[in-house]
Amino acid sequence: MGRSGDRAGSRRRLTLAAVATMTVTVALAACGSAAGSGKASTTAKAGGTNLTMWLVTTGPSPANTVVNQAVSSFEKSHPGDTITVDYIENQSYKQKIQLAMGAGNPPTIFWTWGGGPLKQFINAGDVASLGNPAWASDFLPSSLGAVTFNGQLYGVPIEGTQPVFFFYNKTIFSKLGLTFPTTWSGLLSAVSTLKSHGYAPISLANGDQWPGLMYLEYLTDRIGGPGVFQAIELGKTGAWSNPAIIKALTDIQQLTRAGAFQNGYDSLHYSGGGSDALVYSGKAAIQLMGDWDVSQMLGLNKSFVTSGNLGLAPFPAVAGGTGDPADLAGNTASYVAISSKASTSQKTAAEAFMQDVLASSSYAKAIVSAGEVPVIKGATDLFAGQQLASYDQAIYTSVQQAPSFQYSWDQAVPPQEATPMLADLAQVFELTMTPQKFAATMDSQPSGA
Amino acid sequence: MRRRPASPGQAGQGRGLADLAGLAPAMALFGVFIVVPMLGAIALSLFRWNGLGTPHWAGAANWIQFAHDPLARQALTVTAKVVVLSWVVQTPVSIALGLFIAGRQRYRSVYAALYVLPLLLSTAGIALMWEALLDPNFGGLVALSRSLNLGFLRQNWLGNPALTLYVIIGLIAWQFIPFHTLLYQMGRRQIPDVLYEAARLDGASPAQLFWRVTLPQLRYTIVTSSTLIIVGSLTYFDIVYIMTNGGPGYTTRVLSLDMYQAAFQQNEFGYASVLAVVLGVVGVGIALGLVRFSGFGSMASQQEGAA
Repeated sequence: MGRSGDRAGSRRRLTLAAVATMTVTVALAACGSAAGSGKASTTAKAGGTNLTMWLVTTGPSPANTVVNQAVSSFEKSHPGDTITVDYIENQSYKQKIQLAMGAGNPPTIFWTWGGGPLKQFINAGDVASLGNPAWASDFLPSSLGAVTFNGQLYGVPIEGTQPVFFFYNKTIFSKLGLTFPTTWSGLLSAVSTLKSHGYAPISLANGDQWPGLMYLEYLTDRIGGPGVFQAIELGKTGAWSNPAIIKALTDIQQLTRAGAFQNGYDSLHYSGGGSDALVYSGKAAIQLMGDWDVSQMLGLNKSFVTSGNLGLAPFPAVAGGTGDPADLAGNTASYVAISSKASTSQKTAAEAFMQDVLASSSYAKAIVSAGEVPVIKGATDLFAGQQLASYDQAIYTSVQQAPSFQYSWDQAVPPQEATPMLADLAQVFELTMTPQKFAATMDSQPSGA
Repeated sequence: MRRRPASPGQAGQGRGLADLAGLAPAMALFGVFIVVPMLGAIALSLFRWNGLGTPHWAGAANWIQFAHDPLARQALTVTAKVVVLSWVVQTPVSIALGLFIAGRQRYRSVYAALYVLPLLLSTAGIALMWEALLDPNFGGLVALSRSLNLGFLRQNWLGNPALTLYVIIGLIAWQFIPFHTLLYQMGRRQIPDVLYEAARLDGASPAQLFWRVTLPQLRYTIVTSSTLIIVGSLTYFDIVYIMTNGGPGYTTRVLSLDMYQAAFQQNEFGYASVLAVVLGVVGVGIALGLVRFSGFGSMASQQEGAA
């Protein structure tokens, strides 16, 4: 079930995976009628403004509580205004919002991962621009790239940031006298050392396909810098055939050939917790994953995390590469945007909600208490006393200092390119497709942007 | 099925209008929920539409794309394999099990109850359960292979391109054989004992009884069951979607999954409609063909003069 949005969703509770998958099948059967479900009533009540807001969730989580509290505090400080929040399961949300937009019946405020899908809504005239509000400077600049188009802001972060790191089993590393490598060649030699001692060096849940994409995102950045993917995003001809992409794909195949990934990596799903289990049970040493893995690990094997055995390291530098090793990749944040179908008073109220609540430091504090890392400036002192303070602090500092924070490619490219990109990349991992073929196939995609 | 239906003409002229009135609710539902969406899909296959805004006229562009799409060809091949192999696997096993549990012995009804169990499970549950069992690192089969020292159970069941499709076909069979077993059990129980007695008197061996009496008498059951298997596996989606999502590579990407991804992940509703139309036409074609060639449509009794 792994597609782009999973990544954001998998941050939250995954125990409901079974429910989620069943919902998908139900949603599929019901998709024809979903557009007609009249939840998005946009009529204003007398004396106040009624807003509807659609958010994504995979089940009851602390993040929901944070939003609910924020909504009620907004309703208190803006008497008469109400916000009705609907939580929608991750996978079905993408279809639901697409259909609601298409039917011209969207909620006032809708959840988005930014990037390509949001761009598509904007192109169709479905999203209200926020212009260049002064309060946007309260957010870390790298967090707004995914929702800024043509110099205009279209969305505001509502949840924490989710950069991708290498997570590793410190016990294994110290047993073998290894430190986590800071260069690609160092990683390759660590892989061969781990392999010779009977470990599966790297745990990879590539049944979902997006975990493999993280390698390509980082390697491309380290080899050619952020400009390589920006050219792809702009739809430049032949942008996928950039030597940096070819080199990155070749490096990925080098890992496969070295036997770096565990047996069956190509069918393992992240949401089942299997790839995490490999790491905490000491079968595999390393996993490249979004920062949500800390809380997932905590849920799966608490003592492994609290005893400090879960190491966190940035993606190594590649020799001769032009990318800054401090660059990050991942989900810069999850956002909310305002529908262009909203009335003037609804837009005003929704912008007030964004400015007064979402951009406030008290909201950032609530996000921290839910175990996430906010993208508001000056959040450093909010982490003290948190269970995962050391991880949160390290993650926040990385985001703060990152010269570039590339948001996930499967969100950045138009949806019609994301699916073949992920499926073809999985074949590159399995050595059934060459880097050149991958690049040529992607270059031949009709750009839908 | 036993009685030849009276033709409407025999019952007098006044009945025609009443019949139509009686059919109206069913026809209206059929029209609104089956015919109109089908026509919609055919129309949409001539447009480019990403689900937002107005669809753009594309003429035959989507159909030309379909004709040249190597992925669609791959999906068609995979689907054909699933259909053929599902029939080849499920039919003989279901007949054998069905005949077995058609016996009236007590222990056989116990077996019957056990065989039917997978039928009670939801497909999503089956998929997740088997995914856990087949996990190459922590799965039940790995544990089994260790304790029994059976190395061949240690396979990359869902990640090996040469194996995964057959695993999926096996799981589909595991899920649906119970249902078809029930069909054959009922079919066998409806065969009058006189036929067997007569055949035995003529000195027929058990094998001859099976080939000359049982199988011909099960003919319509076979047609029903085969139609369900073939049309069902043509549009099969759930287990593939949950367990492999078409992978590894494109080796298990069936046409229905291709259609789903085109529509709901790539937002190419026009192209997805082409795939839907293809699936619909092939499905209806096969179903009609089966009915016609088997003579099932005429509904003639196979026990003429027996009773």
